[in-house]
Amino acid sequence: MLSQTVELPGANCGVCGYRTCDALAAELERKPDLINRCLTRAANVIEPADKAVSARSHIAEDLDRPAQDSRATLRDSLDREFDFYLEHFPEDPGPKEIIIPHNPMLTRELEISVGDLMVGRPLGMSCGCPITHCGVVVEVDRRTGVIVWCVTGPLGPRNKGFKDIGYYIAEGYEGLITDARVDIKIGMRYFFQPRRCMLQWRHSGLVNYINKSKDGLQVRLEGLWIG
Amino acid sequence: MTIYFDNSATTPVDPRVAEAMAPWHSAAFGNPSSLHALGRAAREAVEAAREQVAALIGAKAKEIVFVASGTEADNLALAGAFRASPSDRDGVIVSAIEHPAVLETAKALRSQGAALTLAPVDSDGLADTDWFRRHVSATTRIVSLMAANNVIGTVQPFAEVAAIARQAGALFHTDAVQAAGRIPLDVRAAPIDLLSISAHKLHGPKGVGALYVRDGVALAPIIHGGGQERGLRSATENVAGIVGFGWAAELAREQGAADNVRLVALRERLIEGVFAACPQAYVIGHRHRRLPGHVALAFSGQEGEAIRLMLALDEAGVAASTGSACSASHADEPSYVLRALGFDPFRARGALRLTLGRFNTEAEVDRVVSVLPGLVGGLRRIATARR
Repeated sequence: MLSQTVELPGANCGVCGYRTCDALAAELERKPDLINRCLTRAANVIEPADKAVSARSHIAEDLDRPAQDSRATLRDSLDREFDFYLEHFPEDPGPKEIIIPHNPMLTRELEISVGDLMVGRPLGMSCGCPITHCGVVVEVDRRTGVIVWCVTGPLGPRNKGFKDIGYYIAEGYEGLITDARVDIKIGMRYFFQPRRCMLQWRHSGLVNYINKSKDGLQVRLEGLWIG
Repeated sequence: MTIYFDNSATTPVDPRVAEAMAPWHSAAFGNPSSLHALGRAAREAVEAAREQVAALIGAKAKEIVFVASGTEADNLALAGAFRASPSDRDGVIVSAIEHPAVLETAKALRSQGAALTLAPVDSDGLADTDWFRRHVSATTRIVSLMAANNVIGTVQPFAEVAAIARQAGALFHTDAVQAAGRIPLDVRAAPIDLLSISAHKLHGPKGVGALYVRDGVALAPIIHGGGQERGLRSATENVAGIVGFGWAAELAREQGAADNVRLVALRERLIEGVFAACPQAYVIGHRHRRLPGHVALAFSGQEGEAIRLMLALDEAGVAASTGSACSASHADEPSYVLRALGFDPFRARGALRLTLGRFNTEAEVDRVVSVLPGLVGGLRRIATARR
């Protein structure tokens, strides 16, 4: 009967943490906020209208907009324009980065080797990305500490263990350009977005190598900055 | 011994389910479509399982179509209904935080003339029923709103939205892959036309799912062949999997409420324990209107370290997941759920998902509560911590 007093559904589903609706109703006298745990009570279903922030209400318009020239959609998550997406090489497991630990000695001290799974964050100068990256090592220069790795996400490290190099500097990217809204010339600085950038932010970098390949324009970019 | 706190990804098969399945892997190998004794036995087993799955959601057995996964059920629901229902309605409405099985299917339907609209959610991930009242109209063919979200655990007002769809003459589908067996679902009490379930989310086997199709709802098949499952899903039935699914559904129906009471207690113990030790921790999704065993957390100022935290937990013997599946194949899209909640791109990287299930214990929760603060303390901070 208590459940009727407070209009509980009588489902006895346990989702509120109590075995029966009556047990919840009895507890409500002491802890009224517990009513929020009742999923099937109609009064709990709808939040106040002003709480619905419609954070992505523009999505609907985006989806129904006619397909446009891909070059016209080169905008990052902050709505800033960029010149091209940097794609990773199809033969690589992820985007290729040339990096150096903030203490380059770590490359030797941790005995970083090809095939190792690493984590680290690109701090400060160069990218300054706030996200910890995971990847697999593809080249190592023990003399300079420079490491080339492919950023893959955590699936590998979860399975095989990993080495943490702490903070690192991203010195360069290598990848493919399949479409650009400007001509790409060596020696020029461009805005671009790594296709798999976790924040979908544009970067800028200087192109210091170009090679026309069957998959697109192979480039190397150095002097990297976010924004 | 690994502590398995990733029950939203998949659940361990209940030993009682495995036991029920065993004969159907060996001696009882008949094809349910065969007319001999082995085939008839397989057919009876499939139909018994159909009754069990139907009972879990208050449906009739004939309204259950067995498929191979929750993803296939979602595909069949949306694509099948869109192709089979009147063409004078081209509107498809799905929420912005649906599982990709729904989102991508809905997007694919645009090539067949669908006008797709994504319904927004609030900062807790809740769909706004008023938004649906304003947008579901005489041109809407299908509305799909998941019963509960896989990333953040928030339970949606799906029954209310189903009523709105019914009133407008539109079909209503709910992806109940996370919800089935965890919260009350009764298709007699809500005007749900189509409902997707997956066995492995409720301590059943992988490779089998079901679509509830309300009696009278027209659906076109997406897999063609021998005409099994009333012509809606051709392919020889996965008998062992279906038998396991049936028992998993029956166990969920019988002990789901008791499981929920225990899981809510564990969930609250975990959340409060983490809050006490980590002042910068915050819950993602609705604090109360969430799946019984679902905890989505983040640590203010350290959101960029979620991957590292998950790896550290893995090394500590705790199987968890980042709320966003940051993997090589998804690295550019994982944050769409949290982005839809209004999170900025940095915070949208930060979710740690700890999801509890039938076999988790209080001792395991206490172990994670004791280990987690030290791991969080070892993370790099991008900024001053504020909850």
